[in-house]
Amino acid sequence: MDWSIFQFLAPAIAASLIIAGIHAYLGLHVVERGVIFVDLSLAQIASLGAAIAVWQGYDPHDSSVIYWMSLAFTLIGAVIFAVIKGHEARIPQEAFIGISYAVASAAVILTLSKATGEAEHLRDMLVGNILSVQWPEVGLTALIYLAIGVFHYVFRRRFLEISLDPVATAARGVSVRFWDFLFYASFGLVVTRSVAIAGVLLVFCYLIVPSVGGMLFSARIGPRLAIGWVMGVLVSMLGMYFSVQFDLPTGATIVCTFGLALIGMAAARPLFRRA
Amino acid sequence: MNFINSVSMNVRTLVVAGILAASLAGTVANAQSKLNVVTSTEDLGSIAREVGGDKVNVTALARGFQDPHFVEPKPSFILAVNRAALYIAVGRELEIGWLPPLLTSSRNAKIQPGAPGYLDASQNVRILEIPTGQITRAMGDVHPLGNPHYWLEPGNGRLIAQAIRNKLSELAPADKAYFAQRYDDFDRRLAAAEKRWDATMAPYKGTKVVTYHRSWPNFMARFGLEVVGYVEPKPGIPPSPSHTIDLVEEMKRSSIKLIVVEPYFSLKTPQAIANQVPGAKVLVLAPSVGGVKEVTDYIQLFEYDVNLLAGALKQITGK
Repeated sequence: MDWSIFQFLAPAIAASLIIAGIHAYLGLHVVERGVIFVDLSLAQIASLGAAIAVWQGYDPHDSSVIYWMSLAFTLIGAVIFAVIKGHEARIPQEAFIGISYAVASAAVILTLSKATGEAEHLRDMLVGNILSVQWPEVGLTALIYLAIGVFHYVFRRRFLEISLDPVATAARGVSVRFWDFLFYASFGLVVTRSVAIAGVLLVFCYLIVPSVGGMLFSARIGPRLAIGWVMGVLVSMLGMYFSVQFDLPTGATIVCTFGLALIGMAAARPLFRRA
Repeated sequence: MNFINSVSMNVRTLVVAGILAASLAGTVANAQSKLNVVTSTEDLGSIAREVGGDKVNVTALARGFQDPHFVEPKPSFILAVNRAALYIAVGRELEIGWLPPLLTSSRNAKIQPGAPGYLDASQNVRILEIPTGQITRAMGDVHPLGNPHYWLEPGNGRLIAQAIRNKLSELAPADKAYFAQRYDDFDRRLAAAEKRWDATMAPYKGTKVVTYHRSWPNFMARFGLEVVGYVEPKPGIPPSPSHTIDLVEEMKRSSIKLIVVEPYFSLKTPQAIANQVPGAKVLVLAPSVGGVKEVTDYIQLFEYDVNLLAGALKQITGK
């Protein structure tokens, strides 16, 4: 084992820990709300924004216009998801999320087919690779996630009561739609950045798996969050280690490590039950 | 007895250990005196080996069966690039999706673009499809720097070898004569092989073919074949119905019977097109060294492709 590799992996490790931190928390809400695939959908809507910017002739290597465009589309996505919740009695929200995902993905293909230049590179640019993340990007991401984390901490009770029981909260006269927009907007902000750094698959795992792992062992929010954080950090480190040890693509290795960890936790669960 | 035995054992162990240590030290010293060369593709790696011989350690990142536009970076890539004295890139934005962040992550100042240890192999070769004048969206797909699949032309392989020879001589001036001699030898073998390939391909000059991706303009131009269409309407975009129908019509009209496909694309669409054109065939050629098992170096790459292509054209044209 060549340990000197870890000095090059330091930014990737830092990024994965930052992502693990905020996503384990947001994942709790996402799983509670039963909108499992909302991050994939929002990420795809953000990609559509970026693709449209490229189609309009903006240089895909100059990331600022692309980033603002994808951010604007994320906010549009947040509005859509906040508004469609009203119809949940008849049609499950997950159906709309799936439809948005499919349509946004297809629209990206259509937009890129009309863009000048080689479209083949663009898909790569929209989806990041955690191995190539650099310190300035990690620093900026940490600041943004810290701000969003503080925002969620301040309004944690409001977000939580809506996630757990939206009907009762609405009955008390709270504008669920407004708060849902805030939730999806801040969530979209995080997901768009994370996907640009780590790629779609990895971000999905950071969001959902720690939350599910926590639910295996506890019904209370606090312990679930704690288990999720510990799991996110341990799996990140273990995945990085496997990636170096067996020289495998880093993102996919962490994703599979998440899967193995969850199987291990599910197997260990009966032991804790009896105790 | 026991004592003597164990002493002689110890002596033997010591001797063996000493030999091992000495040979290990030898290898280490040897490795240090060799120049570490990292290349984006196996084609460049093969040419670098031809010129560098045993004075260089060559590592190629993308495998020949991988699409060089998309390469998933692995931790070992960063280490390899970090220890490189020379990085040889294909250039022309072929590796734009993965190489720039990899070079930055390696934190090796010697091989950053513009530094003496970075060689863009496309600098002095013949590049096709460079757009002239103003690029507008109406022109559809235009690659501003020209087609990056230029290594599929033996003449360009020679120019790449020259650039590598010059660069290696600059980095290791003591071995200049060695690199020059290695280059001359490669040049001779390539020229002899080219004569053979020209003879094999001569009967099929002017034959029209369709390719999947725009990987083959240099190769086809070199051997006198004409590429009149692509299965992809543009790079990276799946075929649309009207484009596919147009292509089938065009193939029928000009009696084109051959679709050349790169190994990393699905054969479904090409096969469906071939089924609609009487007598048409789909042929998978290797665009890179390592693209198929038999192709282990640059000269064999053409040997393999030329023989396969000539065999298919013989069937089709009856010549």
